[in-house]
Amino acid sequence: MMKFLHFKNPIVKVLLYLLLIAGAVVMIFPLYTGVLTSFLGPETISSYPPKLFPVEFRWQNYIDASRQAPLLRFILNSFIQSGGVMIMQLITASLAAFAFAFLPFKGKNIAFLVFLSTMMIPWESTIIPNYLFIQKIGWTDTYQGLISPFMATAFGTFLLRQFFMSIPKDLYDAAKMDGCSNVRFLTSILLPLARPALGTLAVYSFLQTYNQYLWPLLITNSTNMRTVQIGITMLQVFEREQWQIVMAGVVTIMIPTLFLFFAANRQLIRGLTAGAIKG
Amino acid sequence: MKRSLIRILTVIILFGLFLQACTPAATKAPESATKAPEVATKAPSSEVVNIAFWHAMSGHNGEVIEELVKRFNDSQSAIVVTPTYQGSYDDSINKLKAGLQSKDVPAIVQVYDIGTRLMIDLGVMTPMQSFIDKEKFDVSDIEPGVANYYSVDGKLWSMPFNTSNPVLYYNKTLFKEAGLDPEKAPRTWADVTEYSRALVKKDASGATTQYGCSFAIYGWFVEQFLAVQGSYYVNNENGRAALATEATFNGQEGVDLLTWWKALNDEGICVNLGRATSDTKKAFDSGVVAMTLDSTAGLRDRIDAAAGKFEVGVGFLPRSEEADYEKSGTIIGGASLWITNLRPQAEQDAAWEFVKFMSSAESQAYWHIQTGYYPINSAGYNEPDDVAWRAKYPQFQVAIDQLHMAPINNYTAGGLIGVFPEARQTVETAIEECFAGTSSPKDALDKGAKSVTQAIVDYNDNIGQ
Repeated sequence: MMKFLHFKNPIVKVLLYLLLIAGAVVMIFPLYTGVLTSFLGPETISSYPPKLFPVEFRWQNYIDASRQAPLLRFILNSFIQSGGVMIMQLITASLAAFAFAFLPFKGKNIAFLVFLSTMMIPWESTIIPNYLFIQKIGWTDTYQGLISPFMATAFGTFLLRQFFMSIPKDLYDAAKMDGCSNVRFLTSILLPLARPALGTLAVYSFLQTYNQYLWPLLITNSTNMRTVQIGITMLQVFEREQWQIVMAGVVTIMIPTLFLFFAANRQLIRGLTAGAIKG
Repeated sequence: MKRSLIRILTVIILFGLFLQACTPAATKAPESATKAPEVATKAPSSEVVNIAFWHAMSGHNGEVIEELVKRFNDSQSAIVVTPTYQGSYDDSINKLKAGLQSKDVPAIVQVYDIGTRLMIDLGVMTPMQSFIDKEKFDVSDIEPGVANYYSVDGKLWSMPFNTSNPVLYYNKTLFKEAGLDPEKAPRTWADVTEYSRALVKKDASGATTQYGCSFAIYGWFVEQFLAVQGSYYVNNENGRAALATEATFNGQEGVDLLTWWKALNDEGICVNLGRATSDTKKAFDSGVVAMTLDSTAGLRDRIDAAAGKFEVGVGFLPRSEEADYEKSGTIIGGASLWITNLRPQAEQDAAWEFVKFMSSAESQAYWHIQTGYYPINSAGYNEPDDVAWRAKYPQFQVAIDQLHMAPINNYTAGGLIGVFPEARQTVETAIEECFAGTSSPKDALDKGAKSVTQAIVDYNDNIGQ
């Protein structure tokens, strides 16, 4: 990865780093002010010019935030929902993508196009039918109600199919010749090779679900089943904004996703290098 | 190839059948409502009635609502109210609409002021008036100016709950520094301009370090500025005499307002900080802006934020001229409680008991002290806690005076249309165009009014009569 930065000319290197640092500052600044704001009191938050360095550490904001919205419970709910969606998407997408990439069947391309075309249906147009259906089968206020509409996506299938297509067909043929079953090929050969793609899909689907607002709001009726994004709006008061408490809530729900990101990042890099060595 | 095509077609058709099978089934199954209704329908006799209450109060206000509900539940044993926060006012209206088909709705829902027409037109609400009439309930303590807003065709449709007004906040300390009388708030537009000229400060390089005022581009303020001039937002007396069919905010009163407001910004004595009142409030709290407009509900936050830095003064919403004070007044804002008619009668009756509790003097005084919203029950002012609270925050008296001096007519009742959220945004866009100089105040408002009229006509065709 670092090879890109190994320029001979030190001036180019310095300039490049300066550029990268500037970019990093732009990216990190909103995050930084968010964390900073979460520690300010109501009097210091509105000071002008704005504070760029911490002047106080008001943990009270975090206590207030978790009192006004049960954030830990919401984080748990969101993790169950997002984790469930992530696992189900990995399973359904890898099975479907395997079929589209390796199995010969008639009309494969048309079927794939039909599959892809569902990506053009906006989620907003199906949310009410989905809601009525989930409501009818009595899954409101349950984890299965939160998870089930998102278990399979055309995007995930597309992503994995493209990756599977890049794996030589000979590998499949050779495995077949040795008497390897389709399931065995998928689980023992294909998926380990597809680690970077699976990791990407996992992170994507997890964050996508973690950031959902409308669906959890519609489908849950009790505070105990609510998810993190609704928790944040519980801290935003119409006509009476308290940004320090909102920011304390945002930081609280952001921490678990940051850990996930760091963990997945390592996985993604490992997946890439593993493929390179064996490749 | 042909065989595969047929196969795909079969799949698609099957899928279509599946969809068809699902959708109407949902409408056919009213018995499949949520858990709460099942309990409730089983309890027509002397058993406990469970009712759901959807509200849009978050943060500290949400805690206060929960506390009030707890007090109600503890006060008797026949009814159990379950409060649930359902997102913003818009979110909870959307959720309500989604649940109508399957009757997945609560017994009581809190809806904002501008959703009144829509709620009536949905046809799923029991007017509060029918409970009042049935019980001959004494409503003389309910603030008449507030009830006026939520009364349509002589019927009180919903019980007001949280009520506010816009007032002018000013920085007394900066007033003193500028040689102005800190006890005298500007009363007219000309005053605001004059005071702002005195309050504006520039540093050596000519950059402005302190502005006279900043008013958020917020549609609500426009509605208020029109009402205090004795002008209608929509035709048919604000849609109160008959269904509104046309937007009328582009009259001379609207043009005057925008001309004055734009001149303040163009002269550099006031600053435009965009649509969010949270931004103008922050600028006010930091002492960069000496005057701003905001809801009375934010009074306590302003005082808290200014603690140790400056003193906060409160004045009436500035009028176009002194004579306007005789003519008209401000419109109330906030939200009210609605009882849905889709729930069983036992639940609706239980909901009425809860509504009575929430509008009682004691509850309203507690609500007032904790949140800064007006008590909608005038007896609430006599509660000892409330008296003590006003002694501590005398600025609130201005807000109460403003409410009480507004005459009860169709100007102060406020506009009644089903597309109010959209109308507000259109007006805000018009102001932005005017401030940017791309259109004159008249042209910008004409364009906005045309688009709002179209929205009203479309709405009336679809949902209304």
